Amino acid sequence: MTAKRKPAGRRKATSRVKSQAPLDKSFLGHPLPGIKLSELTGRLIVVEGADGSGRSTQIRRLVDWLEASGHATTQVGLKRSNLASEELESAKNGNILNRTTLSLFYATDFADQLENIIIPSLRAGFIVLADRYIYTLMARDMVRGLDSEWVKSLYSIAIKPDAVFYLKLPAEKLIQRNIMKNQTLDYWESGMDLGLSLDMFDSFLQYQQLMADKFEEFRKSWEFTTIDADQSMNALNQELRCNVERVLG
Amino acid sequence: MEIKAEKTCAQLGYSGRLIAVEGIDGSGKSTQIYLLQRWLELQGLKVFFSEWNSSELVKSATRRGKAERLLTPTTFSLIHATDFADRYERQLVPLLKAGYIVLCDRYKFTAFARDTVRGCSPDWVRRIYNFAALPDLTFFFKAPLEVSLNRILQGRPQLKYHEAGMDLGLSGNIEESFKIFQGRLLKVYSEMKSEFGLIQINANQPIEKQQENVRQCLAKVINLGQYELDKLS
Repeated sequence: MTAKRKPAGRRKATSRVKSQAPLDKSFLGHPLPGIKLSELTGRLIVVEGADGSGRSTQIRRLVDWLEASGHATTQVGLKRSNLASEELESAKNGNILNRTTLSLFYATDFADQLENIIIPSLRAGFIVLADRYIYTLMARDMVRGLDSEWVKSLYSIAIKPDAVFYLKLPAEKLIQRNIMKNQTLDYWESGMDLGLSLDMFDSFLQYQQLMADKFEEFRKSWEFTTIDADQSMNALNQELRCNVERVLG
Repeated sequence: MEIKAEKTCAQLGYSGRLIAVEGIDGSGKSTQIYLLQRWLELQGLKVFFSEWNSSELVKSATRRGKAERLLTPTTFSLIHATDFADRYERQLVPLLKAGYIVLCDRYKFTAFARDTVRGCSPDWVRRIYNFAALPDLTFFFKAPLEVSLNRILQGRPQLKYHEAGMDLGLSGNIEESFKIFQGRLLKVYSEMKSEFGLIQINANQPIEKQQENVRQCLAKVINLGQYELDKLS
């Protein structure tokens, strides 16, 4: 399937590589010590959306397209740090950490990737593609009842992305895609720890609605581009490329 | 989640009380809190000394981070906050709600001092720890820097990398780095005294004199009679 895909859209392969002009970076709130923002010449592109919204597939295809056009890329995601990913995975399986603790542990994982991968990549002029970012982490904490001002302050050390794409799909469709892929629903993606319902199907619908409401709220305060994920993979990727092109400059 | 930053356990309506001791290494605070614990428990009161026993998961990440020197000031701050939250949520809150006098050797002020000296934003760090109540009483043990340094450097020559602030690159010599780092911590502690109403104890006096002082302060703030252990019939 990969081989059939046309590289770089429908344009003919060209050896010309367009370089990007620097784009102003900023922290969302509290700056990290020792970072010169003007040195961060790369781009930070975030793709948000629930499991089943097509996030990972779309990112993979964006990477192919960007690299075909001569851009260097880095990919980051949740639970991928050297520091905390292993333990977070165990915590997820055992459900043994309390909410504030788990939230801070996720923030540790995020900060580790921010300082060790995202910022150095941006400094080197890479295009960083984030398979989810602080918005998912914040929404999860908030729907679990953590204080929203506290959560926002915790993540205020994040670099503001150059673009955030939120792949939106109704909960009913997400369920279909998750079941098609895994034949089951994930405990955490169904928000079972919230005790919304003992029925997993029900809980999934309610939880994903709560998450969607949070993202709707976020969209108003931060600049999100909402993309309808209920379309073919190709059409969706085309729409993403058009939007990414705009921030490449 | 309730934001508890500005409230003590008493103000939050918990039946227990939280007592913390703070100060740099070698200030003698651990000796003092031990004696305080003995005094309370020998009176038959519900008292608990909280040791830093975090869950295996958080401990394992912290250990690796330190051993492999993966930590930046930000992740150092966050991993310790995670550790603190774990202990706070699992242990301290239940005990405080169950009406115990909980004694803590170091509390969030240690993080404020340490993380700020490492360059984290003081406001950011304070907000992170907002989930934890203020102690009903915090003693700040203050001795001249030289006195504290001598106590540590004579007794325990094996200094740990982070403890000595080696990650700050203050000096290539671990002992020298330790001295500069402790000096900066002491300065930040002193600045926090009025902000958080820390009770300063002159740690350059005899042990007995300090303990008398501490016990008097405690008896003034807490009605000790309320904390008697339930009698088993």
